Amino acid sequence: MISNFITMNGYGLYVWLSFGIVLVSCAIVYFKTMKTLKKYEQEFLAELQSLTLEKKNRVLKTSKVAQQILATSSKVN
Amino acid sequence: MLKFFSPTNIYLLIQKLIKFINSIFFLILIIGLTFALVLSPPDYLQGDAVRIMYVHVPSAWIGLACFSVITFLSVFNFVFKIKNFYFINKSIAPIGLLFTCLAIVTGSLWGQPTWGTWWAWDARLTSMLALMVFYIFYILTFKLLNSAELIIKVSSLIAIIGSVNLPIIKYSVEWWTTLHQPASIKITGSSSIHPELMLPLMVMLLVFLLYAALIFLMKYKTEIIRIKKKNIKRN
Repeated sequence: MISNFITMNGYGLYVWLSFGIVLVSCAIVYFKTMKTLKKYEQEFLAELQSLTLEKKNRVLKTSKVAQQILATSSKVN
Repeated sequence: MLKFFSPTNIYLLIQKLIKFINSIFFLILIIGLTFALVLSPPDYLQGDAVRIMYVHVPSAWIGLACFSVITFLSVFNFVFKIKNFYFINKSIAPIGLLFTCLAIVTGSLWGQPTWGTWWAWDARLTSMLALMVFYIFYILTFKLLNSAELIIKVSSLIAIIGSVNLPIIKYSVEWWTTLHQPASIKITGSSSIHPELMLPLMVMLLVFLLYAALIFLMKYKTEIIRIKKKNIKRN
């Protein structure tokens, strides 16, 4: 039964290759997208930290997105 | 209503959606793979090669759907000038390209055992290849051009020209004699696919849709952060 599952009655190469290519490609895109997102979040935080206290407070007061990114990074750290 | 589409409002929603999809995705993926590789019966004609359908068909559908959305939003952007749609399109295009490429590759792997060839210059296959080319040109406009206005104009033009290809892909199997089989699943009218094959296909479609949504949300979130970062620099 296991042998049948692996060979897929002679179509194993095509079936496993199809599923394998899809899974690997999707995994690569997922991790690459995640890495880019993290990179931009870090860059955003670095930019925010480089501001003077007054400017930083102004940004945080007006931007909900900045508040969210800062809150998320605080949770992670 | 259009205010709802502001990046700030959407950003708050994105956070929650990413968390939700991440929490259910692996469970649905395992269910989908179990149906597709174990529980689904072999086809009476194609045998186990039919299992390739569970990755090929959802890939092709999402590839087509992404380009349809891009075209729709491009036209909408032309009329209402909502810049946010430009960022949505920019986030959708790589997903569409990925799934179109996967549809072509898995189609080729399905073609070899069933048709006896990896590739044929048949109407359906060639029009899918054309869709992939349109995606590549569309994405290249974001990479190669600098002015946002020019990018919007050129990318919208590519999307509108490329949209002509969408009905060609859909009806190619009816308009011409092709190696590719006609549609087995119809939204209107009865489908010719057996329910035992239909269920795994629908579960795998859900898996692919969740994955596409997850990648879109992460890419869109990246775009919003990029805009906000630019705004900080201006302050």
